[in-house]
Amino acid sequence: MDVLTRLAHFFAPLTHYIAYILAYLFESIFLVIFVTIVLVFMIYLFRKYMARVQLRIGPNRVGKFGMLQLMADGLKLAGKESILPKGRDDLPFRIAPLIVFIGLVMSFALLPYGDFYWIGSLTITHSNVSVILLFAAIAIMPIGEILAGVSSRNKYAILGALRGVAKDVSFEVPMMISVLALVMMASARTAEPLNLSDLVSSQIIPFGIPEVIGLLVFFISMIARASYSPFDMGESDSELVSGHSTEYSGMRFGMFYMGLFGSIFLSSMMVSLLYLGGYNGPFSSDAGFIFLLIKTVILVLVAFTVWLSVPRIRIDRFVNMGWKYLLPISIINLIIAGIITLGVGL
Amino acid sequence: MIQEEKKNDSREWTELNMGPQHPSTHGVLRLKIKLDGETVKEVEPIIGYLHRNAEKICELDYYCDSLIYFDRMDYVAAMNMEVGYLEAAEKLLGIPPPERAKWIRVIMAELSRIAAHLVWAGAFGLDLGMLSPFFYCFVQREKILRIFTEISGSRQETNYMSIGGVYQDINENIIYMIDEFTKEFPDKLEEIFNAFVKNDIFMSRNKGIGILEPEVAINYGVTGPMLRASGIEYDVRKAEPYLVYDQLNFDIPVSYKKDNLARFLVRFEEMRQSVRIIKQAIKKIPDGPYFNPKAKKSLMIRLRGEGEVYARTESPKGEFGVYLVGDGGVKPYRVRVRSPSLKNLSVIRHLGKDVLIADLIAISGTIDLVFGEVDR
Repeated sequence: MDVLTRLAHFFAPLTHYIAYILAYLFESIFLVIFVTIVLVFMIYLFRKYMARVQLRIGPNRVGKFGMLQLMADGLKLAGKESILPKGRDDLPFRIAPLIVFIGLVMSFALLPYGDFYWIGSLTITHSNVSVILLFAAIAIMPIGEILAGVSSRNKYAILGALRGVAKDVSFEVPMMISVLALVMMASARTAEPLNLSDLVSSQIIPFGIPEVIGLLVFFISMIARASYSPFDMGESDSELVSGHSTEYSGMRFGMFYMGLFGSIFLSSMMVSLLYLGGYNGPFSSDAGFIFLLIKTVILVLVAFTVWLSVPRIRIDRFVNMGWKYLLPISIINLIIAGIITLGVGL
Repeated sequence: MIQEEKKNDSREWTELNMGPQHPSTHGVLRLKIKLDGETVKEVEPIIGYLHRNAEKICELDYYCDSLIYFDRMDYVAAMNMEVGYLEAAEKLLGIPPPERAKWIRVIMAELSRIAAHLVWAGAFGLDLGMLSPFFYCFVQREKILRIFTEISGSRQETNYMSIGGVYQDINENIIYMIDEFTKEFPDKLEEIFNAFVKNDIFMSRNKGIGILEPEVAINYGVTGPMLRASGIEYDVRKAEPYLVYDQLNFDIPVSYKKDNLARFLVRFEEMRQSVRIIKQAIKKIPDGPYFNPKAKKSLMIRLRGEGEVYARTESPKGEFGVYLVGDGGVKPYRVRVRSPSLKNLSVIRHLGKDVLIADLIAISGTIDLVFGEVDR
């Protein structure tokens, strides 16, 4: 039973209609709080980790070990004037950061989180097509970035948005094909392979072992999706100032920033769910959420290490890589998955 | 020619300004570029945002006081600038420095060269999107700056040398610091070097990009590591030795690959050679006075020079020339500086044609610009 249904049962004395409205409301509040906690944790982790890699100390002034630094930064951003550039396309300019943030929160709503001792299942929404919904929600975020680039009437922003489009087009196809291979493999075990919970539960050995190629393709694509180094050509600071978010300031900029770090956490969590067994652990299925978090944090650290050590790849090379290497490799991977599913019935 | 091309190309080119307040450009460089999609069709560097009229100010000051303006030209390699000015001023005034001062100057100039190249390497990494090597470079540079602080009281704008010698002698403590530095720096340098060259993306961003043919380089007046990376073995320290460089044993790194990577490799090899020079010099340094008594502090402002001199030295950026004209007074009649960065920058018009924006940034990174020196 997911959280949404439990909430609806809790409000059941009210009429069915009102009960579901209240359930959705509470669910949204929980989600936003959860995403905020994740972001605070992620940004703190990133800043400390980056500082250690770069022989620095990192934030250590506000609060114990600088843990309240993020509060201070957030307050600063919220208190800043949000400058609106002249000649902007007003509505898209205002809603673009919201689209990015909403896409992020929506994606978190669809993930299965496993069980956690007395609370039971932490999964927020069950749906028998949640794989498709999840990738639809993820695909919302680039729209916000492109809107931001086009509407702010700035050459850097437009160039950044164009690069973003080129990037998104070239990685999304291999990403989807490698997920398709997973669905195919899961279909041998479960009746609803498009349901994320079933897809994750059907991994007796993690999909990452037979699907190593798919894991690599998916991880590269997700790094590109989150657009951080080496795939941060969209907002490459040494070329395009900061790409699509050049004209943004204050809390609107903060939303793009949160979108970036949220994406890293989201992509790491998706890789651990789809390829590393997710909330399945060596013991005690009660601690599923803990296993998921451990796997995710390890992947996040891998992503940070990549971020901090490699230079930016050139946009034409990346597009080449997407179409000439990732796409054929992911198709080969799909064929391998098909053979495994038919032959071995893994 | 550009006009004709424009007529043939019916599409309009996008005009884009990079700088002077752009995170990629070093200092206050402004690049006015014309873009066709992602391809740079034309690039025009616009300079002058840091113009401080240093040469004219030098003409209004005593010979001994001009030194600080040279410190602030190439502010990451202040010692080299001081050497460059003093080579000219001492020739004009006829006050040669004693032997010991010459050796001290060589050591300081080479330390400064390492510091300047480290700043360059870090900034180049940032240009390409590598965040961490910047800090590794600056940690090493900090050790050099600590030596400078110990010897002159200032980190960057040292104002350490003076006409007829140096401001103060080097003592046991400083020799120990330099010894320690030369002992541990080569290993650290290899670490930094590997952080760059063992990275495939770094190699692919630099190999074969920004090829500078030797003829073009000579025509534009390019000097220093950029020229040597184009396959021409020209270094003022060997071609026309000043100070005591003729008594030292070192190589001039040359690369025949002519691209970004060649410039990168040449600069790193130069750092290794500088360490070699420092190691020799610290052993060979003779005893004796560190200051020419003819240029005592009380007599300093009465120094008069007549005639004209041109002195050239090898700064980290290239050939640094100082032209001085004296009319017999206590102040120079004319001061003129040949700054290597300016000549090296001019070649970007040639290199930045028909490349991608990302490559243009990488190319301008390998030129190694310091705007205090370009604009003066």
